[in-house]
Amino acid sequence: MNSTHVAHGIDVEASAEPIVAWRTWALTGRRDGTDLLLRPVAGRSRPWKPMQAAEAVCKHTRMHVSPNIGCTCGLHGTHAIDILRRTRCPAVLGRVALWGRVIEHDFGYRAQYAYPQLVTLVCQFCFWQWGTHGLSPNVVGWFPRDVLMPLCDAHLELARRYGMEPRKLLPTDELDLRLRETYAIDPLVYW
Amino acid sequence: MDIGRPQRIIEIEPVSLPVPSPELPMPMPEQPIHEPSPAPTEPADP
Repeated sequence: MNSTHVAHGIDVEASAEPIVAWRTWALTGRRDGTDLLLRPVAGRSRPWKPMQAAEAVCKHTRMHVSPNIGCTCGLHGTHAIDILRRTRCPAVLGRVALWGRVIEHDFGYRAQYAYPQLVTLVCQFCFWQWGTHGLSPNVVGWFPRDVLMPLCDAHLELARRYGMEPRKLLPTDELDLRLRETYAIDPLVYW
Repeated sequence: MDIGRPQRIIEIEPVSLPVPSPELPMPMPEQPIHEPSPAPTEPADP
């Protein structure tokens, strides 16, 4: 990597190697577990389509290329897993390749292009509480609006007690494999 | 999610794209994605 010039008081470098970072996604799919799509955990943004690079765009203003140094737009990735524990409704944890224009921050990145590299399903409640210690979901609940939520047995029971009854339960192994086949990527084996 | 302050800009042109090649063409148009900064949320009770 070579330092080329300075813009906005920040070094601009060039590289031929994509950056790989941590990331979580939400997951949607049909009642039968087909048409699986990774989606950003925030907002109602478009899904990351299989076999296509996700490309960032700024909805705040379309007047600049995303990511912009003075904005928060761009496809996000982080240096570490722990910072992801407070993201909204994570269903999938993984490693993501970032390229194009990438802005590195103290704790992560905002990128122009991205594609997942390694993924695994996570029980969001376990992930919030314990990070990577106890992520393994036992089932995947299908909820209205095609929301898929991997859950461990304990949190499925807790969800039911609080009235969050999945309309259907799908096998985790099958969904995990189908997700990886859909995006043609490998499993994340971290713990 | 706060990822802190910007430190540097990296312009990356990969020699090979980290996107698998589809065996069959997929008729899906490319559309840019807006992704707001994921705001931290309190874990909700299930």
